[in-house]
This record gives sequence, structure tokens and C-alpha cells, in this order.
Amino acid sequence: MPQAHQVTINFADGVSRTFAAESGESVLEAAIKAEVPVLYQCKAGACASCTCKLAEGDAVSIPGASSTLLASEYAEGNRLLCVTKAESDCSFNVAYGSEVGSSVAQEVKVFIDSVERIAPNVMRLTVELAEGNWLEFRPGQFMQITVPGLGVLRSYSPSSTSVTLPKMEFLVRLLPNGAMSTFLENDAEVDQVLTMKGPYGAFFLREEHRRVPHIFVAGGTGLAPILSMIDTLRQTSGKKPPMLLSFGCAVPEALFALDDIELRQHWLPTLKTRVCVDRNATEGLHEGSPVSALKEGDVTDPDTVAYLCGPQPMIDAATRRLIEFGMKPELIFAEQFVASN
Amino acid sequence: MSDQTVVRRRVAQHSISDARYNDAKSQSQYQPYKDAAWGFINHWYPAVFSKELVETTTENEEELQTGIKGIMIAGVPIVLRRVDGKVYALKDQCVHRGIRLSEKPMCFNKETITCWYHGFTFNLDDGKLSTIVANPDDKLIGTTGVTTYPVQEVAGMIFVFVREDDFPLEDVPPLSDDLPFRFPENNERFPHPLWPDTPSILDEHAVAHGIHRTGFGNWRIACENGFDNAHILVHKDNSIVHVKDWVLPLGILPVADDCIQVVEDEKGPKGMVQWLFTDKWQPVLENKELGLKVDNLNGRFYRTSVVVPGVLMVENWPEEHVVQYEWYVPITDDLHEYWEVLVRICPTEEDRKKFKYRFDRVYKELCLHGFNDCDLYAREGMQHFYADGTGWDDEQLVSTDISPVTWRKLASRHNRGIAKPGKGVYGAVKTHSTRLKELADGKRPEYFVEQVWF
Repeated sequence: MPQAHQVTINFADGVSRTFAAESGESVLEAAIKAEVPVLYQCKAGACASCTCKLAEGDAVSIPGASSTLLASEYAEGNRLLCVTKAESDCSFNVAYGSEVGSSVAQEVKVFIDSVERIAPNVMRLTVELAEGNWLEFRPGQFMQITVPGLGVLRSYSPSSTSVTLPKMEFLVRLLPNGAMSTFLENDAEVDQVLTMKGPYGAFFLREEHRRVPHIFVAGGTGLAPILSMIDTLRQTSGKKPPMLLSFGCAVPEALFALDDIELRQHWLPTLKTRVCVDRNATEGLHEGSPVSALKEGDVTDPDTVAYLCGPQPMIDAATRRLIEFGMKPELIFAEQFVASN
Repeated sequence: MSDQTVVRRRVAQHSISDARYNDAKSQSQYQPYKDAAWGFINHWYPAVFSKELVETTTENEEELQTGIKGIMIAGVPIVLRRVDGKVYALKDQCVHRGIRLSEKPMCFNKETITCWYHGFTFNLDDGKLSTIVANPDDKLIGTTGVTTYPVQEVAGMIFVFVREDDFPLEDVPPLSDDLPFRFPENNERFPHPLWPDTPSILDEHAVAHGIHRTGFGNWRIACENGFDNAHILVHKDNSIVHVKDWVLPLGILPVADDCIQVVEDEKGPKGMVQWLFTDKWQPVLENKELGLKVDNLNGRFYRTSVVVPGVLMVENWPEEHVVQYEWYVPITDDLHEYWEVLVRICPTEEDRKKFKYRFDRVYKELCLHGFNDCDLYAREGMQHFYADGTGWDDEQLVSTDISPVTWRKLASRHNRGIAKPGKGVYGAVKTHSTRLKELADGKRPEYFVEQVWF
């Protein structure tokens, strides 16, 4: 006899919502039915958008479901709502406020404005929302774009902000034989219509921390959401926080968007930047990863907040280093990007 | 076919040629300035002269509410009230339904101001809703209010820090951060062998006399006029220039890379100083092709500088020991308040009298009006080209425009915020019926709220 449990979600802004979850049903499905504004995307245990922490009670992984949580993370109480079922009445804490998840993903049509290669393996794609189409997003969140012809979805974070809507900009990493890569390199045309859905993701600029020092670490096209965040801070009036951007690629030829970074430095006297390459550094570049460019003195305020975006090893290394420098783990926000061809 | 047609938005296409002095890259560096049609916010601006805000007493209240004035700066409506000598500034927009409190001043005590429509009453010091005249037990009381603005009164002028509602009071910088560079503390950095130390409005015994009037056009067009070294051609035929036989060049050309010094010190004003009348700028006194020659006799040395949010200083102008300050305070995106202020140090009563006499009899008529009226005409003439936004893309600048372009870049970098287009305020909609009625009645758009009496 299936039995329902009472599940409570505690949002970071102090709001709590309680709803019933059938035994065997994922907590996420129950939350969606009850219209509780939790964040999610893949519903398959992969994207980690629905990460939360079990606070009270029993909740376990649904047998047979795959999850990207490490055993150690699971042991610490972390759960992915989409692959978790309640075993008793229980409560979960989420790291975002109750307002956040209420921005529901929209499906929109966009026109391609331009496609430009800005590095051997990076394209800049600019689009414009079609007449009558609109969406809002937070800096750092991502969109899913349908690859024309193939129908498959690829996820990209805008490097632009909601201020420039209906125009949007994306930085797309090209992968050999990748679906989107092949499309952009061979078939994409100005004025072509694409289907886009979003926003998704729990990686976004935290308004409540906007006055403390910021550290941004970006690897490759992980720069895109970071640029959106920096521009949002710039466009928010009032005193600007000290900001440090550490951005890196493998070699000097692979670097891109340096003009954009330079322009932000011109506009923002409080922005410092370090541009890094793993090898063959030329003048003005730091040799090593964007993580190795971080120095002990970069964290002077214990309330410093950090945003990391890039490959998983970079995020792990940056997290370790920043904690070593005295940062609070809960003030480090990260998004790994996953390559999919 | 059930699919709806996907339609492209209608867009105006602008593009910028790379061959231009202000090419796309240079323009992108001052994009924030191009976005600042409604001005920069979170800055100190002059609001009124002290003499324009005279405390209302039992003797004079029958006639005029001289102790209360309504103004608007950068799309923010502000009401000023003087009580026991002190000036308070509050948002001039009732939280209830947006009435301007200044339109029909109603004050029942020295601590508050009341909205004359439904009686919402606000504390002067913190802006909180303290009571509602006919609804004193309402739950709303104490939970809401209007934004207050820091005020400073100096040398006969009242300055207001125009902030966004959420700009914290503890972040408000000193007034001196938004005022021109001072002397003698800058003598070494900016020597001035041709004239004495320039006075500052913040100096002891400083006296400021001036005028302010509404300019019809965007504040940036007005501001750039003041330090643009090719604009002095508009003054070629001015009376004072010929009465005093001043050598006023046709224009002044930059001839060195460092002809302008940008000041970005961590503390203090952010701005730029032009090294006029040094070998970094070359005065042009003749154009042979046109048969033009300046043959006046008396050298007239001066130096212009500008600081964020748009404060001009003309040193050694119009005479020795006097300095001219100008502000182009944004009201809306097509109106600004043009301030022309002369400052002199007057330690004695006699000095004050002499300066006042000279201001009234010479400076006001011949300089602030006779000379600077030409600037007003020129700015209004330029407004059409920029009013729809296309002028910023289509202008074709030349080498003398290094001054406005440098200013645009530094202002993009050091402003404390770009004012958002006014919401629910005077001038946000240009063509609604009450505005047209006022125009039809012969009333120009203006800075001060007209007070009504009934």
C-alpha cells in the first residue's frame, strides 16, 4: 500500500513549503505537482540543478536511477530531488530563494543575427528574440537551443544580460563533429530561426552578496556566464564591489573575447583581470591554469563570494584553493560544463 | 499549416564606420555615457540657491509658501523644505497615488510634510509615513515612506545627493568628491603661472553668485559645449570680447598627446583638466582662406576642467580672482537646468558688497547672459540631431573633439549609476493632456513645480 509523506522544502530566503509526496514518486515530481518553485532541468539525475540537502527525515535514491552525486556527497546528506524518494516525513534545504525558481522556462523563437569565429574552437552566436517572444533570465543561467535538422538540444549560457534583450549573445565551444558545431560551421545563416528554451540552472549571480568582493574563475567558454554576471554588476547602480576575473585557455591562440574583457576593465575601475594559458605564455599572460593564478592575498574578506565555471577538474581545484585561502564553502558557486557532441 | 509565422522585430539599423575619429571601438568605451540620457544618479547636484528657499513663517505664510520647493533631477522628483534653517529633501511623489507634495504645500508641524490630496504625512528626517490625516490607525503607517536625500548648504547654494531608493546612506561620498579641483592644493600638479590661485566654493569666505535656468535639450549636449575647444567660435562676436578687446582665438587645437590630464585618484573628484595656454594646445588666430583674423590686443588666459557628474570649471574667468562653475543638471532626457555660478573669496563685508555689485552690474548681463546665451542657442540648435538617438552614431568628430570624447570615456567609468528613465514623473510622457494644456496656456516646461492655490 503506497503511503504519502509530508515533504518540506526550506528556501534560502526563509520561506518553507510543505507538500505531500507519494511513496515511490520522486520528490521533484511531487514538488512540481504542488507548484513549489524548485529548480530543475534534466529530471534524470545528471544536471545537478535540483541539488538540495536533506535536513530531517529519511530520503533515498530511487532504486535503479542514476545520479551524478558522489558517494561522499550523498553521505553528507546531498540529494538530487529528481531521483530521490521520501521514506518518511522529511525536509530539504535548498541554496536559493523562493523567488528564483518561479521564473519558468519558456520556449521561444530567435533569429540568428551573426555567427563569428572568435578563436579556432569558439564561435560567437548572436540572436534576437522574434516579435511577440520574450523570456527573462538571471546572469549565469543557461538556455537550451535545438540544433536545426537534428532536433537535439544543446545548453549554452548567454554572455549577455537581460538588459540587452531581445538581443542575446552566446559563446559556443566547437567540438569535432559536434551537432551544434557542425551546424554553426556549415549551415547557420543570418536570419535563420532557432528554437530556444530556458532559463535553466541554479548557477546565477546572488543579488544578496552584491556588495562583497567577487572572484570569478572561468575556463574556456565558461567565460560566457561570467561575462553576464560582470555586466549585471556593472549595470546595477551604486558602489561596485571589488572584482577579480581569472580566465584561462590552453594556449594563447585559443584565447578569445579579450576585447570584451578589456572593455569591462575600462568601464569598471574595480575589476582586475588575469588572463592565463596552460603553456606558451606570451607577454602579459599568466602561465598556468586560471586556478594557479589565484593568490592568497586575493581573499581578504571572509565574506568574499566566488563563481566558477569550466571543466570539473578546474572547479574542484579552484574550490579547494579558495577554501584554503579562507573562503566559506557556501559562498562558492560553480557550474561545470559538460561537453556533448 | 498550424504553425504561426515567426516575425522579425522591426529594428533601426545603425552602423559606425571604422574610418571615423570616434570609431566603433572608441564608442563602445563610452557606451554607458550614451545610455545616460536621463543623467547620472547617486551624485551631488545643486538644487536651489539658498535665497530661493526662505523659511515660511507666520508672517509670510499667508502669501507664499517660500519655504517649500518642488524640483526634479535625473527623473527623480524632489521636494525641499526649510525648517529652523535646516533644509530637508524628500521624494516628491506620495507613496499613495503619486501626487507631488510640493504642488500645494501642506505642513501641520515642523517635523512632517503632508500630501494635500489624501493626507498621507511623512517625517522630514527619515521619510517614514507617520500618519494619515483622516485615517490615523491605518496598518500602513510606519511600514512605508518616501526616500530622503542628503542635503548640504554651502556659500549660498543648496546641494542634494540624488540617490536611487536603495543606495545606502553610508555610501554617500562627501560633496567635495563631486565638485571641481581645488587650489592651492593642486598647484604643483596643475600649475597656473598666468593667474592667481583659483577659489573654490568650499573655501572659507567663498561667496557664490549666479543664475540657473532651464535648458531645452539633453544635459550631455550642454555639458560638452563648455569645454569643447572649437566651440569658442560662437563667442567671436560677443560684446564683452570686443569691449574688453580680448584675444579669443577662433579655436584651440590639441598638439600634444598629453593635452588633457585625466584625474582618477581613489579619493576626490574624477575628471579632466585641459592644459590650455601651454604648448600642448595651439590657439588658431587666423584662417587665411576665409580672410578671418583675430586682431584684438588683450590676452585672456583661462583653463577649463570638468568633473563627474558634469561640473565645468573655467579658471580665471571672467576676471582675475573669480572662477566660473557650470552645471547641466539633468531634469528629463530632453530638459536640463543650466547653472552658471561665479565664486570669489570675500573675507570682509566690503568685499562681499563689491562682488555683489560687480555681479549685478557686469557679470550677470555681459557674461552669464551676453556671453553664455550664445552657448544656449548653440546647444538648442544641436538638440534635434541627438534627440532621436541617431546623432550619437552619426556625428563625425575631428581632432578637437578629443575633449568631449575623453570626457565621455571617463564619465562612463566613474559615474555612480545611470539614471533610469523617469517612471510616473513629469516629462516621462511628453504628450499627455495636462502637459499640452500647460503649453497651450503659454507655460514652458520647467524645473520648478508650479504651486497651486485653492
